[in-house]
Amino acid sequence: MLRGENLVKTYRGPSAPIPVLSDVSLRVGAGALTVVAGTSGSGKSTLLNVLGLLEDADGGAVWFGDVCVSALSRSAKSQYRGRSVGFVFQSFMLLPSLTALDNVLLAGKYVGAAKAESRRRAQALLEQFGVLARRSHYPRELSGGEQQRVAFCRAILNDPPLLLADEPTGNLDDDNAALILRALHERAEAGGAVVVVTHRPDAVAGAHAVHALENGRLRKVR
Amino acid sequence: MKTLIRSYLFTIVGIAVGVAGLIALGAMSERIVRFIEGGDRFVLGQISVAGRGMGMGAGFTAGGLLPSATLRAVAAVPGVDGVQAQVMLPLNPSTSQFMTLTQELVLGMDLSVPSPNRAFRTLPVQRGRFLREGDRRAAVVGASFAASHGLDVGGSLELEGQRYEVIGVLERMLTAPDRFVIVPIADAREQWVTKDAMLRTLLASGAAALTAADLNTGAAVGWREGEDPDAVARRIRERVAAVNVQLPSELSELLRSSTAFFATLTVAIGALGLVIGGLSLANTIAAAVFERIRDFGVKRALGATDVQLGREVLGEALGVTLAGGLGGIALAVALGLGIDAWAARTGQQLFFFSPRLLGGGLVFSVLLGMASAAYATFRVVHLSPAEAIRRGQ
Repeated sequence: MLRGENLVKTYRGPSAPIPVLSDVSLRVGAGALTVVAGTSGSGKSTLLNVLGLLEDADGGAVWFGDVCVSALSRSAKSQYRGRSVGFVFQSFMLLPSLTALDNVLLAGKYVGAAKAESRRRAQALLEQFGVLARRSHYPRELSGGEQQRVAFCRAILNDPPLLLADEPTGNLDDDNAALILRALHERAEAGGAVVVVTHRPDAVAGAHAVHALENGRLRKVR
Repeated sequence: MKTLIRSYLFTIVGIAVGVAGLIALGAMSERIVRFIEGGDRFVLGQISVAGRGMGMGAGFTAGGLLPSATLRAVAAVPGVDGVQAQVMLPLNPSTSQFMTLTQELVLGMDLSVPSPNRAFRTLPVQRGRFLREGDRRAAVVGASFAASHGLDVGGSLELEGQRYEVIGVLERMLTAPDRFVIVPIADAREQWVTKDAMLRTLLASGAAALTAADLNTGAAVGWREGEDPDAVARRIRERVAAVNVQLPSELSELLRSSTAFFATLTVAIGALGLVIGGLSLANTIAAAVFERIRDFGVKRALGATDVQLGREVLGEALGVTLAGGLGGIALAVALGLGIDAWAARTGQQLFFFSPRLLGGGLVFSVLLGMASAAYATFRVVHLSPAEAIRRGQ
């Protein structure tokens, strides 16, 4: 479903360029949960951003099916992200000015989803994740676990075939971490492709594939 | 709108302060413009004639005596339509006259002749009535004069030892008549004789054969329909001796050159208002957009295209600048009215909030706000969503 081929990414450093990804290739199939592990600063978030078209690679290509999505125009990339990719961030990235429900609905807004259907689905997801009662609350009024559950609802509102999660349990207690991991597995079991980057691969039990990112190079662990 | 105001309260307040500065400075500028334009309208509406030489006459009647025989000669000049004798005197001759623009003047008008001034056939009365032929010891006062002297219809004031009843107060015109005391010409002539020792001596000596009708400091002269006022004025100069005749266009030019400082000040104040208010507003809007850079990054991650994001930001900027602009206008008007209420004790009005200023200020604010938002959005959408999120962390 998703292929990253020969990805290269270098950041400008104060004195010299900092290579982050060096000829990284990754294949993620439908129905699989793939883990990319690495220490802090190893470039795993950059890899996730490149795979999700949140930033461009300096070299290589990203394919989704038989479409080279990394070559799309800026607007087409946005549309692709809206329809095909769901993002779960470590720091949730909820908009502080919107309620929990409106944050979830935001994902439907930019893909032209029918408002009534979006609202119905958003409420069903919030109920499924146990935060329906908090739908009118603002992010500052929610706990970290609640915020991540709301963010997860937002990520899957449009039922995207690809879910990219960056340290999704990094800021959560054990119970909430388990809930989110179970949800990630369920997405994969339902036929979606899920990529999780984490510095603690042991925290993601039952992954179909585990890769390690070291010194800008990706190595398959299992 | 309620959510918008809650989310952007500080931005709206910031814009309101910038717009208030723009409108307040603009209103001061408008006030000066009105003063100059009013004077210009007045002098272009009549040919002003004064006696040649030096005398007590003030304003456009400054000069020597203008006897009745000379007035008759002026009236006989082809093209002339109406000659109104006038006496214009400084209210207080001991006051330095260098600030003639704000000088308080007594204007005596010959009420048996309709006003020949095409721009001011009548002076607008706010309360009471204007003078009529046959009135004596009656005065109509300008709005600033009334305010600074605490006068109203039914009140009285003393001029050269005589009590005058205030029978009317003029509307505020934002130009010279605001500081006038208008009286029948016979009363003004008496005041002139009382004020001017030399004239008194001359009359007492019998050396000059003068009657009361000869005591005029100037005259307003009209022209027949279709006549060129400058040509009529030149004709008066050629045919009538011992008069100073001001061509309306010359007088207008003279007024403009004598008010050049104020005109420049007006432009400077207006420009200052645009720069200060405009920069404040543009900076506030751009800062509000850049402040939410992380939100825009998240929205782009969720699929927002440049066009969707641009439309959203511009829509919000429109709402925010409208709310801030209207708030700023309200703030400026409230401040201006408050200061003017205080300044009215001395007959001053510092601000004039014209519809063109308020409308123009709002349109300028909205356009500048939209332009700033568009610029900031352009900058934001050219960042990758990841970079936008990183910068907003």
